[in-house]
Amino acid sequence: MNVIKTTMAAALMATSALSLPTIAQAQDLTMAIAAKSAGQLDPHVSTKTQDKIVFAMIFNGLVRFAPGSMSSDAIEPDLAESWTSSEDGLVWEFKLREGVQFHGGYGELTAEDVVYSLTRAGNPDLSSVSSDYKAFKSVEAIDDYTVRITLSEVIPSVLGVVANYHGGNMVSKKAGEELGESFQTNPVGTGPFAFSQLAEGQFVELVAHEDYFRGAPEIDKITARYMSAASARDLAFQTGELHMIAGSREDRWVDKTSGGDATVAVFEPGELRTLHVNTSKPPFDDIRVRQALAHAINREELIAFAGSKVARGNEAPVPDGYIGHESDITFLPYDPEKAKALLAEAGYPDGVEIPIAITELASLFGPMQVIQAQLSKVGMNIKFDVMEHSAWHKAIRDDVSPLVLYGAARFPVADTYLTQFYHSDSIVKTPTAVTNFSHCDMADDQIVAARSEPNKEMQQQYWSEAQQILVDNVCSVPLFELLQVWALAPEIDLGYELGGSLSLGPVITEKTTLSE
Amino acid sequence: MASYILKRLMSTIPTLFGILTIVFVMIRIAPGDPALAILGDNASQEALDAFRERMGLNDPMIVQYWDFLKDLASGSLGVSMVTGKPVADSVASVLPFTLELAFGAIFFGIIIGVPIGIISAIWRNGWLDYFFRVVSLLGLSFPAFLTAILLILWLSIEWRIFPVISTPTGGGLWDRIYNLILPALSLGIIMVAYIMRSARSAMLDVMGEDYIRTARAKGAPGRRLIWHHALRNALIPIVTVVGLYFGLLIGNAVLTEIIFNRPGLGKLIVLSLNQRDYTTLQGLMIVSALMIVIVNLLTDLCYALVDPRVKLK
Repeated sequence: MNVIKTTMAAALMATSALSLPTIAQAQDLTMAIAAKSAGQLDPHVSTKTQDKIVFAMIFNGLVRFAPGSMSSDAIEPDLAESWTSSEDGLVWEFKLREGVQFHGGYGELTAEDVVYSLTRAGNPDLSSVSSDYKAFKSVEAIDDYTVRITLSEVIPSVLGVVANYHGGNMVSKKAGEELGESFQTNPVGTGPFAFSQLAEGQFVELVAHEDYFRGAPEIDKITARYMSAASARDLAFQTGELHMIAGSREDRWVDKTSGGDATVAVFEPGELRTLHVNTSKPPFDDIRVRQALAHAINREELIAFAGSKVARGNEAPVPDGYIGHESDITFLPYDPEKAKALLAEAGYPDGVEIPIAITELASLFGPMQVIQAQLSKVGMNIKFDVMEHSAWHKAIRDDVSPLVLYGAARFPVADTYLTQFYHSDSIVKTPTAVTNFSHCDMADDQIVAARSEPNKEMQQQYWSEAQQILVDNVCSVPLFELLQVWALAPEIDLGYELGGSLSLGPVITEKTTLSE
Repeated sequence: MASYILKRLMSTIPTLFGILTIVFVMIRIAPGDPALAILGDNASQEALDAFRERMGLNDPMIVQYWDFLKDLASGSLGVSMVTGKPVADSVASVLPFTLELAFGAIFFGIIIGVPIGIISAIWRNGWLDYFFRVVSLLGLSFPAFLTAILLILWLSIEWRIFPVISTPTGGGLWDRIYNLILPALSLGIIMVAYIMRSARSAMLDVMGEDYIRTARAKGAPGRRLIWHHALRNALIPIVTVVGLYFGLLIGNAVLTEIIFNRPGLGKLIVLSLNQRDYTTLQGLMIVSALMIVIVNLLTDLCYALVDPRVKLK
């Protein structure tokens, strides 16, 4: 057997340059993203998970979350070297760095590019996140390196919407106007890496931006491969063909992968898995049925199912670590007997059948099966209509499901989460719909008041009140948070401590290195 | 011959028209929303509405269909809703990889399947025959993705001969062939099973014919008897299987392409379906259907080549 093995290997290796594509080549880094392909590579257009990490390497904001952090407290200067705001918080001035160069010879970044970028981010025809910029009354270039933003009303985090995330990413005006729609396949930013090529369904290639204002990157080239099959990613990581891979968010995978030299990074943000309850239709229009539902769910069992290394409990409607998160929530504990009693009191002594729509995606379908088993014990019989993921997204926005298990990470300020999931403007099937599946509007006053409250303590109080109201009314049952999981080869030094990443992956910076 | 080919091509027009109409309607009535699938679940309602308007998705289906036909009549497959690039460019960028994978799989299928089919037929009911029949049954039973993973575990992880990620772009011809071997082999194993079984049964039929008995009585040597007299006449069923299987390969190749991270038509079809990229999907289905039509035509032409009694009219 050994003779055959040696002969075969020798014969194949001998045929010309048939060497394995090992990645020992200088500073070329290869990573795998868990997706079939890139979306639209325009930071103002795509809000898809797989594009966020690519944007983080190509673009900058006026300010940025320090690498490895997603805390608003860790916001630091990026393209702007300083900023000031008026006392009423309505006028903001940003002083830009001089000499920042765009990729591909598109010249120096000036205030005109910032005006163009923020105006573009606020235009629904060109941006998916235009609603974040509704309060922007004007954006003006005072001189080449000064930008003034005037707001129509105070918003919770101006720095948040000009940071290196979605609409806050600055694009080249010249490139945007010159390339038009094809900007999405030729993105031009100021980040440490420039877009080089996109092979649809295969990879996106980025190259070092030698004129990067923080210094030329150590890594010469990044190949970010789109590999949706977890087994394929694992196998290629094992052979050393990939330096970094998106992992499976389960303890078993973490234990298996961290067994060797590789590092498994488990980091923020936690995507909060929440069971949203449609309060506008029977049987959940009766608060007793909603309370029964909350009492029937055993969070500990769900966390154990997901794995304690990658999941943690959360009873509040706003994820842990977000500004405004309330950790001291009074919630309905697991109590199946009480659940049965409440259900009987509500007129369902023999139980109730609840048909729901659920995605085929394992990260949601798996926990929903556990919930189904838990609810069946108190007489709530869940019937699944399992759908392809995209079809499910459409169906839940068409309000067809009385229960919606949803997982999301958003900009880490309570207002974003509360507005998108619990404000009446966001109720599904309305002209301003976002993702309010519960139809709850009882915390509107607190959400709106917190938004423009200049006093931080008062603002926190409004957010805490809002969260308690939502829990008391069982608009949803917050379940657990699922953290981000990536595996890194031992030769990678990211150049920073990875505690969190709004880009949902370890971002490669100018300081990242690969050892031999 | 030329008029036969022209007639056959002309007769495919209604078929293609039917296919594209069915595809057009089916993808639009399938649940899902292209705007959500493309912009992401965090996109604002305003942006989703603007996208639908821009892409003409708010127009009645008949208007969209008419626009699609107008594009097609002008020789355009349309523009991708995701990338904004012409669909023809997307197709052209992946078609060579699909073709090389399909031909690679067929190559393995023929060079392994035909000889073992013949051996099985010659030593009918012998231990070799039983062995190959069991092996071919395994080949048929194993899904392509499982075969691919097993081959990776064996040849990439254990023996470190081939890469896990098949990189078909860049490098020279040898590099390209090297990157093709494992995916083509994993897909070709199923092909081996099909070809082996049809070669065996065709050879058994032919070997029982009178003219074989006559040739043997006249003292024709065994090798000549098999390769010259029998195999040539057994080729038609094999050609038929290869032709039929070529069409199936596009579908079967999807998982192989995903596992090996290769570009390809099948993978692009699945991707477009997931993203609800209607225009790309329509273009891809037209190209796939056209490919199957052409392969069927080539199969028919091959009949005339391998059997002079077949006349193309």
